[in-house]
Amino acid sequence: MRLNVVTTPEDIQPYLRDESSWTGAAESVSFPQSEDEIREALRVYSQKGAPITIQGARTGITGAAVPVGGHVINLSRFSRALGMRWDDADNRFLLTVQPGMLFSQVQKGLADKEFNTQGWSRESLSAYRRFCAEGRWSFAADITETSASIGGMVSTNASGAKSYLYGPMRAHVVGLRLLLADGRAVTLRRGEQFAQGGFFRLRLEDGTAVEGRLPSYRMPAVKNASGYYIKPDMDLLDLFIGSEGTLAVVTEITLALSPTPARSIGLLAFFGDMPGALKYVQALKRLQGTQKPAAIEYFDRACLDMIRGEQLEARSHKDLPLLPSAEAVYVEFHQPTQADADTRLRQVRLLLQENGGKPAETWLAATPQDLEKLIGFRHAVPESINHIIAERKRGTPMLTKLGTDMAVPDDKLAWVLNLYAESLGTLGLEGLKFGHIGDNHLHVNILPATAEDYRRGKALIQEWARQVIAAGGTVSAEHGIGKLKTAQLLDMYGREAVKEMRALKRCFDPLGLLNPGNMFVSEESG
Amino acid sequence: MSMEIVVCVKQVPASTRVKLNATTNTIIREGIEMMLNPFDAYALEEALRVKAGAGGRVTVISMGIPSAAELLRYALALGADRAVLLSDKRFAGADTLATAYSLAAAVRKLGACDLILCGRQAVDGDTAQVGPSLAQKLGIPHLTAVSRLELSSQRRVLCEKMTDEGYQEIELGLPALLTVVKEINTPRFPNLEDYLRTLDAAVEIWSADDLEVDHARIGYDGSATWVMSTTATERRKNGKEILGPPQEAAELILGTLRQMGWQPASEGRRE
Repeated sequence: MRLNVVTTPEDIQPYLRDESSWTGAAESVSFPQSEDEIREALRVYSQKGAPITIQGARTGITGAAVPVGGHVINLSRFSRALGMRWDDADNRFLLTVQPGMLFSQVQKGLADKEFNTQGWSRESLSAYRRFCAEGRWSFAADITETSASIGGMVSTNASGAKSYLYGPMRAHVVGLRLLLADGRAVTLRRGEQFAQGGFFRLRLEDGTAVEGRLPSYRMPAVKNASGYYIKPDMDLLDLFIGSEGTLAVVTEITLALSPTPARSIGLLAFFGDMPGALKYVQALKRLQGTQKPAAIEYFDRACLDMIRGEQLEARSHKDLPLLPSAEAVYVEFHQPTQADADTRLRQVRLLLQENGGKPAETWLAATPQDLEKLIGFRHAVPESINHIIAERKRGTPMLTKLGTDMAVPDDKLAWVLNLYAESLGTLGLEGLKFGHIGDNHLHVNILPATAEDYRRGKALIQEWARQVIAAGGTVSAEHGIGKLKTAQLLDMYGREAVKEMRALKRCFDPLGLLNPGNMFVSEESG
Repeated sequence: MSMEIVVCVKQVPASTRVKLNATTNTIIREGIEMMLNPFDAYALEEALRVKAGAGGRVTVISMGIPSAAELLRYALALGADRAVLLSDKRFAGADTLATAYSLAAAVRKLGACDLILCGRQAVDGDTAQVGPSLAQKLGIPHLTAVSRLELSSQRRVLCEKMTDEGYQEIELGLPALLTVVKEINTPRFPNLEDYLRTLDAAVEIWSADDLEVDHARIGYDGSATWVMSTTATERRKNGKEILGPPQEAAELILGTLRQMGWQPASEGRRE
């Protein structure tokens, strides 16, 4: 079998980086279009004993897709939709795709009701015809970077604003087909194979099995993407979601689809100070059940001032009215009827009145077009930050953005917001806070102006991590650990736990070939 | 100077995939997602700004199917004072001539009016004819593609009209009709308070019997033009889709272009 491989430095160049600041090295890159080709690449390159890095769309920001020498298996051409099924038990469609397919392609296929169905089975085509005929269906996993691959989303258990209601990627994956480093495979459905009391035995399709002990640590009770997902009696499917490519290559993903909500509405409310905004947020978080918002997002005054400044310079954001200089809270509701949506709006007006908000100054997005404008605003914040860093880099090349991805338990939200604000103020560092406040998960971006700022910013983030871990939080709530945060994972769970994680990986990948460097360094040093 | 302002708005399909009535070749409007014609949002915003500056009232009118009332309620939430929907099966199938004729009758019924604002064109028909046609029927001056307007004190409005080369400054006496382009402003969001206040606000529904019109001049029968066929631009099937890593794809494309005789500007120039 002829593999499609490139080996010259110019051809390899683009595949040495992802969206983090990290650049790696590799000797060859292959672009398989079938599972057999992947298996062949694994066979050929494992014989060389060199690392094998698996890549999706390389949109990650923790270096997980960055190779550390050896061979790269790039899945961007392994990107088809393979079939559809109607799941009678849960009244929903299931869509099976290859890992290289992009999230945006899945969204578009569902919205336009158009997939390339070449080669689909009769059962799939029948489900597809039914899908085209009735209703509107979406993939409810939500991420900000829509050009990410589905495989990448599985690897990091990706999430976004609407994960507040719909859950992270884990909640939407009902099946995976997995290829181990030695070529053995299994198609695993949710509900089929479980661990028992911390012991697992994964039966593969050739009749053999992989068995061992799960790590014994307990995950913090927060939105979390740090380290392996572990529970003593877990569904073994969940072991692979969020495993950052360290256990197996995912060659097929079966996604659960959900009915598109009939009515979506968004509200952007403005507050004079952070405590005011927080009171409103806490009130929104008390809405549960059918009243629960789809998303609750926060943007501090620095974020709005940044965008407002760009609006006044007439550089961009021309479809948005002039933002005030204020703290902002965005809440979105997905409701089955207009009457339900109107009831939510009345509730929010009350919550605003009771918590220092101003309904007459709260922007309402009641149409898809207006919702798009607010999505544009929310995405503009990290983009503008990147733009500012790029400009500062020109004068001081060593500067990069310093960003955090930490989440804390509910009762620590006010504490962590104050921690961030006060410590930035004390050190005189420029920082912006924004993100998924519904999950107590905020990104703090420190914008260094000098090398000294950068040094102090890095140290400050380490101090925050220490305090967040002690408070029962996580160092990475959605981006994953990759290669950039292995030290933080070690701090979070401790030496023994990371040893157990290495042991787990050894069960599946005894030679340590797959994505070494992700989550933990291969061998403990010292 | 208190102003009576009328804004004409249209409900259009939200996506480019449209279904056509096989017989009349007109767009089937039932059962698909609709939205406010984007250009009309700018017209409405400008009307609200004029009202904020000069005082007065904004009346929004539309000719459409019953569900278009939702659109008009949205306009009320934004700050319009009155909403009128011309809805009647007899209005259906109208071309721009019949539409302008019906709208003119409605505007006359509304009474004295100082300024009429329309979006430059509707994104489903793209003719840009209704505004000018309406002005002619009302016997008032009009200007299209307005990107800026300013009321001056002697019942005149000073406008910037966008052209291909730049813009012209033109002054009109009121009453006048202006069609606007997106450069004119940034439409606001409705605020929560006003939206809830106007949830049950009344949208007046006028049928053909409520207007002084010759029924032979409205709707499909009153149209002077008929859509013979509408085709969506088809995907060119002869093209070759190039997949794969960007570097490789770019080189493949370059190679194909060279085979076709293309040369980059930097090559092949002997100076």
